[in-house]
Amino acid sequence: MQPTSSMKEEFLKKWQMGLQIFRPSIDNTSVSERKKAIKLSADVAMASLRKGTTCWSRALIEKTATEDNFLVRQMLTGIKAEALINKKLPKKIVCHRKIVRRSKKILRRKSRSASEEAAVKAKRLVKRRTQGLRNVVPGGEFMSNDILLLRETLDYIVSLQTQVNVMRSIVDAAEAGIEQ
Amino acid sequence: MLEGLVSQESFMDMSVLERLKWVQQQQQQLQQVVSQSSNNSPGLFQILQFHGSNNDELLQSTFSHVQMLGSGFGPNYNMGFGSQHEAMDGCISRTSSCHMESVDAMGFMLKNNEENRVIALKNKRKQEVKTSEEEKAEKKIKVEIETESSMKGKSNMSITEASSDTSKETSKGASENQKLDYIHVRARRGQATDRHSLAERARREKISKKMKYLQDIVPGCNKVTGKAGMLDEIINYVQCLQRQVEFLSMKLAVLNPELEINMEDVSVKQFQAYFTNLPVVGASKQSIMVDVPLFPLDQQGSLDLSAINPNQTTSIEAPSASWEAQSQNLYNTSSFGFQY
Repeated sequence: MQPTSSMKEEFLKKWQMGLQIFRPSIDNTSVSERKKAIKLSADVAMASLRKGTTCWSRALIEKTATEDNFLVRQMLTGIKAEALINKKLPKKIVCHRKIVRRSKKILRRKSRSASEEAAVKAKRLVKRRTQGLRNVVPGGEFMSNDILLLRETLDYIVSLQTQVNVMRSIVDAAEAGIEQ
Repeated sequence: MLEGLVSQESFMDMSVLERLKWVQQQQQQLQQVVSQSSNNSPGLFQILQFHGSNNDELLQSTFSHVQMLGSGFGPNYNMGFGSQHEAMDGCISRTSSCHMESVDAMGFMLKNNEENRVIALKNKRKQEVKTSEEEKAEKKIKVEIETESSMKGKSNMSITEASSDTSKETSKGASENQKLDYIHVRARRGQATDRHSLAERARREKISKKMKYLQDIVPGCNKVTGKAGMLDEIINYVQCLQRQVEFLSMKLAVLNPELEINMEDVSVKQFQAYFTNLPVVGASKQSIMVDVPLFPLDQQGSLDLSAINPNQTTSIEAPSASWEAQSQNLYNTSSFGFQY
């Protein structure tokens, strides 16, 4: 599923709205401040496109809310802003180390045939990778099963692609404007 | 200068060997340039400061400022060293162009070295880059072999499991599954038809279906088989996209001090073209994926980064067997630490 132009336009609108909130405080002349403002508003815009249906969007909004609550509230007016911010996310998946270690020891005692070894290794690899994916996708730690994780990843990738496309075209336009 | 270096051939099309040769070539060229332009100073920082002191307080101040920034970020994957370079490059566009060439060279060298996370001396640079590239290529091949063999092992195991299962014959397996679940799993001959294994098989089918969708959307996933490899590619791709967002927002922050996306000063035709997927007039490189307009290469001698960027489009067209090598070559410098 490719990012559609309607998605891009919506994103652009929301992003502009977010940037306008920063406009009055324009004495933040340092590059890093501006970059932060741009990125935050872009993130919130991207997340709000999903209107709270996906886990990653809620997690992303929550994350930016910790950094800049004001922005988030302004941007999400009307769309259950309060609900989104105060929503209780499911508990993080916590592995108790002792239990894991003990069970690993027990498993190790069982002797394994050659083919099983390979399968176990494969499973371990896959598990490690899914853990890595959880770290990358916002809100990944809250997703209890793999299927949900994959679905969220798919959605997240599409949104990221939209974001990158729009930003890139803006930058292009800005550059072209400067050249002339 | 760099526009000439970056040929029409995109990174994606080159095989690993070609890429190595290309990098090597670049190194040689750059070394020539640097040796011409510098006083044979050993460290990169000295070179940079040499240029900075020549012209711009702006350059130096942003450099030092962003240096502080860089150290402020935690020990994430790509350290702040990359960020310094990024801001610096951004500022370069606004400063005089007389130093552009050599600083471009610096920028390119910095990028190539970022993976070592060390400010390498000129002499060591060539071998380091080459060996790291080779290592990566080897690692990639090893990982692929490993996943292939592990997949074979897995399939063997499932076959033995199936044959050793004590169960009935099958074609009625589907009837077990006509609950409210949506995936119809037909039990094959000799496979267990109890609820657990059926549920598990249903789950596996769901997962493989999702992986197929992901395979369509992530470029380069067709070459890798097996869950682990694909997950790896997916992770790399997501990280790459995130880095691109950071980089683009930084660039916008530099280009656009008013923080305004005003539509007036951009030619309307151009802007609309972006959204209606038409190729933009004036882009020197027309790609097939027209809804991602590439940075014009030669006509506008602006940021060197703009020349390097087009190779990293987020388009499905570009099959890339190794996001790692490319993204580390080009984009590791643009990360400011992962916030997620």
